[in-house]
Amino acid sequence: MQLHFTKDVLSDSVSTDFQNLNKLNEQQFLRLIEILFQFLLEPKETERFMQQLGEFAGEHGMSAGPLRSLMKSVLLVPQGALKKNLTSEQIKEDLVTLGLNQDKAAHFSQQWGEHYAALSSLAVGQTLMVNQLVDMEWKFGVTVGTSEVQKVGNIFLQLKLVVRKGNSTENVYMELTLPQFYNFLHEMERAKASMECFS
Amino acid sequence: MAAAVSSEHFDNLQLLLKAPSKDAVRDVCVQSHRGPSRRLADTTAATLSIPTAQAAQLVQSLHVVSHHVLFYNLVSPEQILQLFPDSFHSSLKNLITKILLENSPTWRTEALSDQISLPQLKDLDWRVDMVTGSDSVSRMSVPTCLVQLTMEDPCPAAGGEALSAVTVELSRESLDTILDGLGRIRDQLSVVAGK
Repeated sequence: MQLHFTKDVLSDSVSTDFQNLNKLNEQQFLRLIEILFQFLLEPKETERFMQQLGEFAGEHGMSAGPLRSLMKSVLLVPQGALKKNLTSEQIKEDLVTLGLNQDKAAHFSQQWGEHYAALSSLAVGQTLMVNQLVDMEWKFGVTVGTSEVQKVGNIFLQLKLVVRKGNSTENVYMELTLPQFYNFLHEMERAKASMECFS
Repeated sequence: MAAAVSSEHFDNLQLLLKAPSKDAVRDVCVQSHRGPSRRLADTTAATLSIPTAQAAQLVQSLHVVSHHVLFYNLVSPEQILQLFPDSFHSSLKNLITKILLENSPTWRTEALSDQISLPQLKDLDWRVDMVTGSDSVSRMSVPTCLVQLTMEDPCPAAGGEALSAVTVELSRESLDTILDGLGRIRDQLSVVAGK
């Protein structure tokens, strides 16, 4: 089988699962696809997904277990499609190749097209970042005096950067003088200009 | 009203009358500002031909006087001359005052750059990369920014390094947010500066 969304050899059960989808009537299929895309857009909501599948199974006289494993097969398609940046056309071709009938494949790929932008951003957002800057806090003030000099009047700026290291965060504290602050601002503006060249 | 310096310090300062030259006086004054040191006491004792114990007291007294001038920011000759007791040798008093006035600006700058603070930002480097693929999306074209901040800790923990560097990665959105924040700081600073 030549598929766009994956180069792997799929087990036979996957084909069977897609053919079983054809048995659903239009209304049932639409609802099931709605549940699927809801999950794709909020991938952390696994409990809700399982619960909705359970309810669906109950409403339509199906067993929950087989329905869940059917959905696992179905999920392979959009997940692979995201990795490979597939178009709606390509996804439709793949679904038909897998055994889904034309109408259902067309509906699925139309939903894919509608949600593609949101799903892409999600996938890009999951790309690994090293030492990602999570937050920045600052305060600035005036040094009024020190143990060496009774009266001073220097402006200082203190920054706290919160950096993600693995599963935890690390705080980095630093102090800048005014000239250093202006230099920092200038360099960040140059970095932004450089990034904008690429979009 | 600046506090006074006790007269025993000035008794010690009169030992400088034994100095061979004005430059010798200048040297001792400048070096004692940093802090007491055995080596300085020894060289001073040799230069002035006085016992080491007395030289050490002299160095200590000079240190007290120069730091007093620095702390209270005594910038006019009159303010410094006022510290000396009336009985103090007149030319030596003028010489010491002149030396203290000459060095005060340098000492003030040094004191301010040496004060306790959080690690200071020493250097900033950045680089913009284009991410072309990842395990979640095999073909992509997303810019990302890496910033390396080099910091120097003015008072590192014992056995610790003064210089440290941290590299952070910023997405476009993070960089925009940072610039937003920095812009607000700049605006607040100009309000303060305008006052």
